Amino acid sequence: MKRLFPYAVLAGEVGLEVLRARLDDVPIEFSMISAAQRTVALHEVERERWGTATLTVRVRLPKRELADGPWTNVACAAIVSERRTNVRAHVPLEQDEPGVWLGEVTLHRERHVNKAELIAQVSATVDEIDSRLIGRSEASWTIDLLATTPTKKDGIRTEWVDFGGEGAVHLDLFRSDPWFVEAVGEEPTLYLNKRFEGIEAILRSDRAVDRPAQNALASQIAQEVWTVLFTSVIRGLPKDDQGRPEWPGGWQESTLRKMLPDVLPDYSLTDALAEIVAREDGAGGDLHARVAHAAAVQARRTRHLGNFLRAFRRKAQEEEQ
Amino acid sequence: MTVDEGEPFGVWLGRQLRRRGVSQAELAKELDVTRAAVSAWITGRAEPRLEKIELIERFLGLSSGASVTRAELSDSADSLGWYHRPAHRDGGRELGNAAAYAFDSDLAVLAREATQNSLDERFDPERPVRVRYVLHELTGERLHRFLKALHWDDLRDHLHAAADPLRKTGRILRNGLQDLAEKDSLVLLRIDDYNASGLTGPEYGDGRFAAVVRRQLDSHKSTTAGGSFGLGKATLWASSRFGLVMMHSTLSETYEGQRERRLIGRLDLPWHELGDQQYAGPAWLGVPDRERDGTSRSWWADERTVEELYLSRGSDEPGTSFLVVGAYDAATEGGDLETMHENLVRGVADNFWASMIAGRDSAPMLEATVESLRNTTTVRPEERVDPHRHQPSRSRAVRAFLNGETVERITDAEAVLQKTVPLTVPPLKGRREAFEHEAVLLVTPMADGEEERPNRLVCMRGTRMIVMDRAVGEVVGTPPFQAVLLAGLAVGESEENAAAEAFLRTAEPPDHNDWKQTDDLTATYARGAATRLREFRQAMITMARAAARPSEGPPDEVPEALRGLLDLDPPQPNPAPKHPTVKSLTGEVRPDGAWQIRAVVRLPEGVDPWIMRPALRFGTLSGGGLPAGWAELEPESGCEVVEGRLRFTPGARTAAFRGVSDVASHPVAANLAIAEVDLVRGESAP
Repeated sequence: MKRLFPYAVLAGEVGLEVLRARLDDVPIEFSMISAAQRTVALHEVERERWGTATLTVRVRLPKRELADGPWTNVACAAIVSERRTNVRAHVPLEQDEPGVWLGEVTLHRERHVNKAELIAQVSATVDEIDSRLIGRSEASWTIDLLATTPTKKDGIRTEWVDFGGEGAVHLDLFRSDPWFVEAVGEEPTLYLNKRFEGIEAILRSDRAVDRPAQNALASQIAQEVWTVLFTSVIRGLPKDDQGRPEWPGGWQESTLRKMLPDVLPDYSLTDALAEIVAREDGAGGDLHARVAHAAAVQARRTRHLGNFLRAFRRKAQEEEQ
Repeated sequence: MTVDEGEPFGVWLGRQLRRRGVSQAELAKELDVTRAAVSAWITGRAEPRLEKIELIERFLGLSSGASVTRAELSDSADSLGWYHRPAHRDGGRELGNAAAYAFDSDLAVLAREATQNSLDERFDPERPVRVRYVLHELTGERLHRFLKALHWDDLRDHLHAAADPLRKTGRILRNGLQDLAEKDSLVLLRIDDYNASGLTGPEYGDGRFAAVVRRQLDSHKSTTAGGSFGLGKATLWASSRFGLVMMHSTLSETYEGQRERRLIGRLDLPWHELGDQQYAGPAWLGVPDRERDGTSRSWWADERTVEELYLSRGSDEPGTSFLVVGAYDAATEGGDLETMHENLVRGVADNFWASMIAGRDSAPMLEATVESLRNTTTVRPEERVDPHRHQPSRSRAVRAFLNGETVERITDAEAVLQKTVPLTVPPLKGRREAFEHEAVLLVTPMADGEEERPNRLVCMRGTRMIVMDRAVGEVVGTPPFQAVLLAGLAVGESEENAAAEAFLRTAEPPDHNDWKQTDDLTATYARGAATRLREFRQAMITMARAAARPSEGPPDEVPEALRGLLDLDPPQPNPAPKHPTVKSLTGEVRPDGAWQIRAVVRLPEGVDPWIMRPALRFGTLSGGGLPAGWAELEPESGCEVVEGRLRFTPGARTAAFRGVSDVASHPVAANLAIAEVDLVRGESAP
């Protein structure tokens, strides 16, 4: 989607960095801050209980462009938000030197659950109107309160569980299944059944000879995960007052954005969303087949299954000789 | 003219006679005294009476009283000339300077070698040595005046004779002469250092002057830094298309009772033949030395000659100005001034950024500037080479070390971690005790947006010139970092550090770019030196990796094979989507409040006609936007407008249309919202 601003905005990049972080005034290792992944991991082992996290942030603005442009009263702010708790904090930054703004952003543990988003915004007076947004950081930072390493783990949670064992009553019904996908709530979860003989051995093996089977198995699991996720997302899509589907946000939206281009390749994302709902309602014939195809693309089925079959046949031939 | 107080009259008189080529016997005859009397004056056994002194002054053309102040006459520019060394009698021929072949003759290398020499020759250790590079292109009248001052007419035939197109040096020479003739332009590169020793010492005997001007491979190792003016000085001559370098030195200690404006030129040609004479190649510009068959020796120049030769110095601080005549950059095939300027800045910054760092209480060792001129016009103004601009992370690391601001745990994007790397320094041959030197390892997160390769370790010793740049390798789970190793005197002043410094210097090859087993090392140190070096090299990498690694977290639950298949990161945008997309959107709000918009559409390959509705929305930052309608919609190319929709021409790959929004349909005033245009299928315009 292309956008137009009715006033002058910055074309240059607005850079956002987290320089350091403290949990209750005690600094955390810098290795828990990753500029490449734009992620800060706030969970330190043995420091589970903390009240506030303070991040020192620095924003770099296109200095020359700002100086030559029509903007006055330039101000810069960091914004922390978490969709789940609907928290949004606006922290004004202070100019350190021309084009460089610094400030401290505080997160209160009890106001957040999981992951907060950090962005920077630049505002200025343009055409005699105050405080207009003239730029924002291109990519946001993720402040992950539960992670121990700053890797962008925007993925599907995976857990090894003994289905039917103690503390896994909700999986008792599926005790004979190798895995189970739970696509409800804030975070979809893939449960892998420890009780199912061989699955852990294959998936955790680091022997090269197991690699084809390992990948084929992973691919099959992934295909099922994506199918379940997609199906459950389109059932519960929010609609606007005219009955048109809206983007749901969260992992639900991520799932759609990843899969829709393969489900309906000749539709734009917006059109594809509407079309999916129309076909779902009218039970349009090939939709489920298309979803299966899109899930297989995510699971890289062609490559992994192909490699497995080649390896399997080669082994069979060797045994015959 | 500087007077060395307390210089005996006899020494002064002897020098005046030598410089004028007057023998003791001639003076004795002129003054009507015996030769023995003159000899006694010169050796200090006796002093002449006042009337004889006046006669001496008159005879030497000096003003009355000159002998009291020990005044000197500048050497007359008229007596200057080029002395070309005759060919060896045994018929031996040197067809190029062997030392020059040891280096790549590009300006970055020249900057490395020349700056290193200046650093090694630092005079007052409390203050930085200042190095100034000036590129100066001369054309027209200025060029001709310069060439005249250089006595070019005495050189031209030799240069042509040596320009043998079959040899590398000859070809460079020939191209240089051709360019000079055709373009009527010449590039001079002057390298000045201040607060350096200058070219001290006698004309022919041991000393800095002779090491640079008279000798090859003499590294004049008496200084503490050692190894200055060694092989590296050859890069000066190698950077001149004519092999021609002029020198102007202000000495840190007097020679012949003088300090200022000691000048000499040296030309390094290959063997050549001119007329029926054969020449060895080297030639010197100076005043003829009668005691040595007219060999040219350095002269004490007047200010005008210095100016004419573009050798003026900015102050009377000791140091040397080298003028590379016909400077060129082999790396860029000559290259323009701008490129040469850049290469010099890069050469200085890459190798000496650490030497240019100042601590809170300590001056930098080195300050360097680069400047470019064409005649009297500034091409690039004098630019101070700023280490923090070229090497932000590593400069930060060294500064933190100098300021004692290093930490034990990295908690900050700009924190600098300090560790110790042991180096066992073996004893010198015949001694017993080895000792452990503690080199300093600094590790710091790489600065955001820095263009250096990540995860490298650079090593340096006393002068903080970069000796090695080694890969540490990526450390999983760690942000990119930079590491610096300070060894020897770079750690601080102490006897042991100096001994470690000497050990590492011995382990450097002539290029000073490695620490490894050298012949010198084997000859100087006890057995096992090479092993100690290997251990040191390994330890520094291991330590750097360990320092960069974060503390361990719990293992991940996700099996490796599943990891890449289950991530929810947004997919890369498809560069060639299979549906029409708005490729570019431009527009403005008209005075009547309507958006006037032009959109370019990219269409996928295919023959079926696409029919899409251009949807205009007034966007909010987060939400989907509120729809607005069009007052006008006008096709521009590749499409037609049918009932508010665009029907794209079958087979077209791009299309364009214009539109004006319907003010009445705006949900808010146009200048208060972002406008978005999208192409949608489905229902017709609302």
